[in-house]
Formats: sequence, structure tokens, C-alpha cells
Amino acid sequence: MIASTITLHHCLFLSILIFSIGAFGVLVRKNIIVILMGIELMLNAVNLSFVSFGYFNSSLDGQLMSFFVMTVAAAEAGVGLALAVTVFKKFKKIDIKLFETLRD
Amino acid sequence: MEKTLLSILLLTPVIGFLINGIRFRSKNIKVAGSIGTGAALISFICSVALFFKVKAAPDHMVLVKFFDWINIGSLNIAAEFLVDPISSIMILIITGVGTLIHLFSIGYMDHDERPAKYFSYLNFFLFNMLVLVLASSLPLMFVGWEGVGLCSYLLIGFWFTDKEKAAAGMKAFITNRIGDAGFLLGMFMLFYTFGTLSFGELNEMMPAIPEIGWAGPVTLACLFLFIGATGKSAQIPLYVWLPDAMAGPTPVSALIHAATMVTAGIYMIVRMSPVFMVAPNVMMVIATIGGLTAVLAAAVGLTQWDIKKVLAYSTVSQLGYMFLAVGTGAFIPGFFHLMTHAFFKALMFLGAGSIIHAMHHEQDMRKMGGLKKKMPITYWTFMFGWLAIIGMPPFAGFFSKDEILWLAWASPLGSKWLWALGMIGAAMTAFYMTRLMCLVFWGEETRSDHKVKESGLTMTFPLMVLGFLSATAGFLGIPHVISAVLPGHPPNILGDWLGHTVVHLDIHGSAITEWLLMGWSVTVAGASALLAYYCYIKKITFVDKFTEQFKPLHQLVEKKYLVDELYQAKIITPLIGVSKILWSDIDVSFVDKCTHLLSRFAVSCGKGFRSFQNGNMQTYAFYMLLGSAVTLFYIMTGMGK
Amino acid sequence: MSPTIFYSLSIVLVVFSLLVVLCKNPLHSALFLALAMIDLAFIFFELKAPFIAAVQLMVYAGAVMVMFVMVLMLFDLKEDEESAFSGNPVINVFKFLSAGLLCWAISSKLFSYGDVAGLGAGKEFDIKALGTTLYTKYIFAFEALGLLLLLIAVGAVALSRTKGGTHDS
Repeated sequence: MIASTITLHHCLFLSILIFSIGAFGVLVRKNIIVILMGIELMLNAVNLSFVSFGYFNSSLDGQLMSFFVMTVAAAEAGVGLALAVTVFKKFKKIDIKLFETLRD
Repeated sequence: MEKTLLSILLLTPVIGFLINGIRFRSKNIKVAGSIGTGAALISFICSVALFFKVKAAPDHMVLVKFFDWINIGSLNIAAEFLVDPISSIMILIITGVGTLIHLFSIGYMDHDERPAKYFSYLNFFLFNMLVLVLASSLPLMFVGWEGVGLCSYLLIGFWFTDKEKAAAGMKAFITNRIGDAGFLLGMFMLFYTFGTLSFGELNEMMPAIPEIGWAGPVTLACLFLFIGATGKSAQIPLYVWLPDAMAGPTPVSALIHAATMVTAGIYMIVRMSPVFMVAPNVMMVIATIGGLTAVLAAAVGLTQWDIKKVLAYSTVSQLGYMFLAVGTGAFIPGFFHLMTHAFFKALMFLGAGSIIHAMHHEQDMRKMGGLKKKMPITYWTFMFGWLAIIGMPPFAGFFSKDEILWLAWASPLGSKWLWALGMIGAAMTAFYMTRLMCLVFWGEETRSDHKVKESGLTMTFPLMVLGFLSATAGFLGIPHVISAVLPGHPPNILGDWLGHTVVHLDIHGSAITEWLLMGWSVTVAGASALLAYYCYIKKITFVDKFTEQFKPLHQLVEKKYLVDELYQAKIITPLIGVSKILWSDIDVSFVDKCTHLLSRFAVSCGKGFRSFQNGNMQTYAFYMLLGSAVTLFYIMTGMGK
Repeated sequence: MSPTIFYSLSIVLVVFSLLVVLCKNPLHSALFLALAMIDLAFIFFELKAPFIAAVQLMVYAGAVMVMFVMVLMLFDLKEDEESAFSGNPVINVFKFLSAGLLCWAISSKLFSYGDVAGLGAGKEFDIKALGTTLYTKYIFAFEALGLLLLLIAVGAVALSRTKGGTHDS
């Protein structure tokens, strides 16, 4: 695995590793904000894979795609945080469990 | 061209039905009646045109296919209509008599609350009846068969606020359903055996040799079909509904329960005459049932006081004659009698309607009398009907009835017994019809408190037309022996016309015998009528003595053989008992418990699965991640390959 | 890019990411997330994507992280919770395993695919080319994203303005 030259595979491996870590964070954390952070991590991992694909294929599309992802990620963070604020206002807590009240 | 005519013929009643049905709240009888009568009239004109088309066609047959109706495997049924000699006569009768009765209804129903509804039902009946007679296959005929049953139910119970009348409608419907089940079984049997249900193909496929015994497929099928016919055409044992059906408006009784619908059974047998000829045993059953019905119903007719009930039992009895005729293989005379009966019985019902209308819905003959002077047109036209039904030459009934009696005597399928039954029936018919005439028209006036006056033209015009037809329709089917002595030897128009499609037997009886029988039956009928005249006008005490002498018998007949009570005790009550047991023991305590068990199982399953849907977003995300991980693992490691 | 730089940046990135997920204090998580993003910006730079690296620094490490931190401070969570993790520890183990399974599933065959050009094969694009492509080939997506951001701005304001259950007025 440790090679003298870095190939696309290395970048992709790094990407999936970060993605899994982020996903794990989303699955296990209690705090809504930290869950959003996990999502940001996952999105960053995706960005990494886009940019490295673009790099190794000598294409601009990868960079542009990651640019779009960033925009969407910013928007998502905005909405997510607004939701977190709403939940906090109502319950004085930001536990993800509080969203279960939406079930009823 | 034929297709257009046929479409107009069938669709005008539907359009009339829809228009009147949509504006069913309307109380304007003039408008509703004009729409209904107009639709029937247009249909009649189309029928006439179609009749001439068929006449001009080389093989006397017009087959029009509208669309494929059922196409499953080897079962191919098209919405296909057949106009041939039999159905062309039938559509003329249906639309012709139908138009007259629509017209009559305008007068008769003038005080009714819902005339538009009434006329829409009548038009719908016309449509269904036309489908019934024009159908080229049994299933399509069954559509019309059920449709007329429905209309009959609706019209019998037209005044449904009266509980008894609503019950009469239901009785008619349920009794008919029993017959319909037989009809269906017969249909299945034929399809199972021959693989087709079209009349043309069935008639061609029939084996040449008649079946012997009772278990042959054709015999069974015909037996089932005959059960269907007994339901629709009010024969023993399913005739009980027809007398009760008199609860409906009188024009309805004239149209549905005398002229058209009740003859559907005879029509069906005539239509399938080649099939029935293969089953001589069934023919024997049909003839016997027909003969018995003719006599027993006529006997009840002797004792009734309600004018419509008399006519109803008379109808049952005349239908019995027709079955007697077709049962002895005399399809053409049977059909001939169907036609003449349609005229004179419709006439008599309408006449009775005219009287009832004038008498303010009084139906008891004992309260009538002396109407001869007050209602001259009704009287004279009724007179024609009377002469026709008792078989006085040269009125219509004479020709048809005597031909039936002659064939019952001479046909290879007939017998002297059947002839004797027919003869007794004829004598009774003459008696009770004369009795009716005496009580209603001839006797002294019993009621002077009511101002009884002749009905309006909308009611008398149909009477006159039908009176004319009752007097003259017989000349369409002059028997051979009579035409032989008449100047110019007029042909048997109807017989020749129907002979194109209907099986007809060659009877080789001696002309002298036929003349003798004819004379005998006229004499008997005449004597019987004279006896009735003396009994009820000259007041000889014969009837009283007779009833005194045979009191139990008289009471039995007067109570209609207690058939209704018998059915109630032996069939309906046990059926209700069994149903109750099935309901409480089988349905409630077994079937329901099983279903409850199943539903509880479903509920507990749902509760189990509900834990997956706990609303925890992280759990959902976990499922998603797990799913995608497993899928990816499956793909990437190549386990799928 | 030399392997040495890539490996060191990668290790730092993984460590920071793990710290984001595992830190009990959300503020620490935010700090490590910012660090991880800066680290990632370096990787982007090494992958000859200087513009994306700059955007990463400004938008992510700058704006988004500031937003996170501000929201955290707004909440002012003084009393720390007993556990940073939700739910049953056993289930959390399964969650960890499934994330690992995902990682393993993708990476298992990754290195067995045929030879791919090594690092340094990439062509460098200048920002002008990037801008040209963005405003020609991706113009529709660009406009759509603009609209999305507008909607999000309105939506976020609308969401935050709603009164919480504990407020009376």
C-alpha cells in the first residue's frame, strides 16, 4: 500500500476513510451540531474524490463538481443549523432524539 | 344501412330512458309521455323497415355485429344481433304493442306523481326486450333476459310506498332468479358440450338423432333452459309471481306481463327449436307442464273476483297453451299463438285499465256492471278480445288455438291426453272470460254513485288498434284445411315466413278429423260461454249449487291451491331456518372467529414491525448505511458473479 | 506531490476527523473540523486545484465553521451531558462495524485495478479556464444553485423566526 508514487487509489482510499468516519459520527453522536459536522466531513470526503478524479483524468469537471458540492453543503449547513436553533428554542436541548417527537 | 337501422332501433329507447331518467322529478306527464312514446314509435318504424330488409334479404337473415364482447380462450361472444323471421316478428310486436301501451299510459298515469320515472322504466324495458329477442347468442340473450326481469321488478313495485306492492315486485324478482339460475346452468351445459353459444352454430351442430333417456347433455341443457323459461313465462312451479305482479300499473301488466316479457320463454324455445327437437323427453315435460298449467290456472281464473287477477291467471293459462304447443313440436302454432295472444291479451289488459281508471282504481268485478253503455268503445274492443280468446271464428284466437289443439292431437310428440287438457282449458277459458264480460259489462249497474265515463282518446285509440288486430291477426296463419276450402286458397303467411328458420313437423292427419276437432272445440267453447252467460245474467243457480257440491275443491281452487302457503311452509321457512343456523353457527362462531384471528395476527405483526419505524433518524440512517454497505460489499467482492 | 507530503497530510486528516467524531465537547469537535478542513485545503492545493483549495479555506474553514461555532455559542451548553453518544452502546458497535464494512467494501478491490498514472500526471488549469467552463458548460447548474441559496436564506430565516414552545410572546 505504501508506494513510491501516489495514485488515484490512494486518494480514493483516503476519501472513503474520511467518509466512513463522518458517517459513523452521524450515526452515533447525540448532538445535532456534531451530526451536522459529520455530514460536512462526508461531503468533504466526496469533494476529495471529485478533485482527485479530475486531477488524474486531467479534467476540470471534478473541480467544478466539488465547487457545486461546497455550495450545496453551505446551504445544507444553513438549514440544518436553523433546525437545530428551532429545536433548541423549544426544548432547551439539542439532542437528536428530540426529532422523534415529530413522529406523533 | 342495416346497422344504422338496428342502432336506431336499439338506442332510441335507451335515449328515451336516459332523458326521462335524468328528469325523473318532472311531473309533467305530457312531456314525459311524448318522449317515451316518441322513442317507442321511432323504434317501431325502424322495426318495420328492418322487417322489409329481412324480407328482401336472400336468406331472410340480417346479422349485424357491433363489437366483440367477451373474448376468452375459446369463448368468443360478440355483441351481434340477428334479425331473422322470428325476431323480426317479435320486434314488430314489441315495438308496435309497446308504442300503443306507451300511448295508453299517458292517459292512465295522468294522476301519477312520477310519470317521467315510469316512462323511463318502460323505455328501458323496451330496450332490454329488444336485446333479448335480437341477440344472436345465449349470453347476449341473457343480458336482455335479466334486464327485462329488472324492469319488471321496478315496474311491479312502481308504487313501492305500498308495502304489498313492493313485496310483489320482490317476489317476481326472486322467483325469476330461480329460473335464471336454470337458464345459466343450461347455458353452461351447452357450452361445455358444444363449445359455442351462438344460436346459429348451436342449431347447426345438433346431432341428427334425438337423444334417448334423461342423462344426455342436450336433454339436461334443455331441461335447465326450460326451468329458466318456467320462471320468466310463469309456468308451474314458478308461476306464482305473475298473479302478484298485477300490483303494478295496468299498462305494465299489459306490456310486460301479457304481451312481451312473459313470452320470452316461448321465444327462447322457438329460437332454439332444433336443439329442443333433439331432446324428446324434455319436449314431453314441456308439453305436460304447459297443459297442466293451462288447466290449473284457468281453474283459478274461474274463482277470482279481481278483474286483473282473472286476466293474470288467463295469461298463465294461455302461456301454458303456448308451451303445450312447442312441447308437441308445434313451434310455429305456438309462436302464432304468442302473437295473437300479445294482441288480444294486451287489448284486454288495456281495456281493464280503462275500466279501472274510470272506476277510480276499483278492481273488484262485483262492484262493476253495466258498463256497456257507459264505456262503449272499451266495451266493443273488449268484446273483440273476448271473442278472440275463447276462440270464436274468425277471430285471431280461433286460428292459433285450434292449430295448437290439432297438433297436440296429431303430432308424433303429442297425445290425446294433451289434447284433452287443452280442451278442458279452452272450455274453462270460455267460461271465465264470459263471466268477466257478464259481471263487468252486461249485468245490471251496481254502482251509480260514481260518474263513470269513457276514457280519453289516448286510451281508446290503442284499444281500437288492438281490437282490430285481435279480430284480423288470425288471417296471417290460416291453417291448411281451412285455406283449402276458402276461395283463392290464401296461404299461411306466418307459417311460410317462420318456416325459413323454425323446425316444422309434417303432420299427416286426415282433414276430416281436423274439421271435427275444430267444430268440437268451437262447440265446447260456445256452450261453456253460453253456460256462463246463463249463470251470471239469467241467474240460474248452477254455480252456487256446483260450489256447494264441491265445497272443498272450490275453496282449494279459490285459494289458488294454497301454493303460496305451501312454498312458504315447505321452502321459504326451512330456508330461513337454515340461513339462521348458518348465520349464527357457521358465520358468527366460525368464519368470523377465523377472520378475527387473522386480523389479530396482522395487528401483532404490525406491532412487531413498528419498532423499526421508531422515528429515530439515526436508526434510519443506520439502515441506509448498512444496506448500501452490504450491497457494495456484494458487488465489489464479486460474490454475485 | 511527494508521497511523504501526501501521507503526512493524510494521517493528520484522518486523526482530525476521528477527533471531530469522538470529542465530547462540541466546541472541540468544531475546532478539529476546522483543522481538518484546512488540512484538506492543502491536499487540494497539492492536487493542483488552487481555486478549490482557496474556496475550501474561505467558505468551509471560514464561513461555515464560523456559523457552527456561533450557533454553538448561541446555545451556551454549560452543563455537559453524560455521554456524547446516543443510544445503546451495543448498537453503536454495530454502527461502527457497518461503517467499517462500507469502507472495507470499497477499498477491498481498489488497489487491484490496473495501473493508473501516478501523482504528478495531472495538468494544471488556470482559474480563467475554470471560470469559462463554469459560465458556459455549467451555467444552468450555477444559476440553479444561486436560486437554491436564495431559497435557503429565506427558509433558514423563516425557520429560526418561529417561536419556540417555551416562549410566550
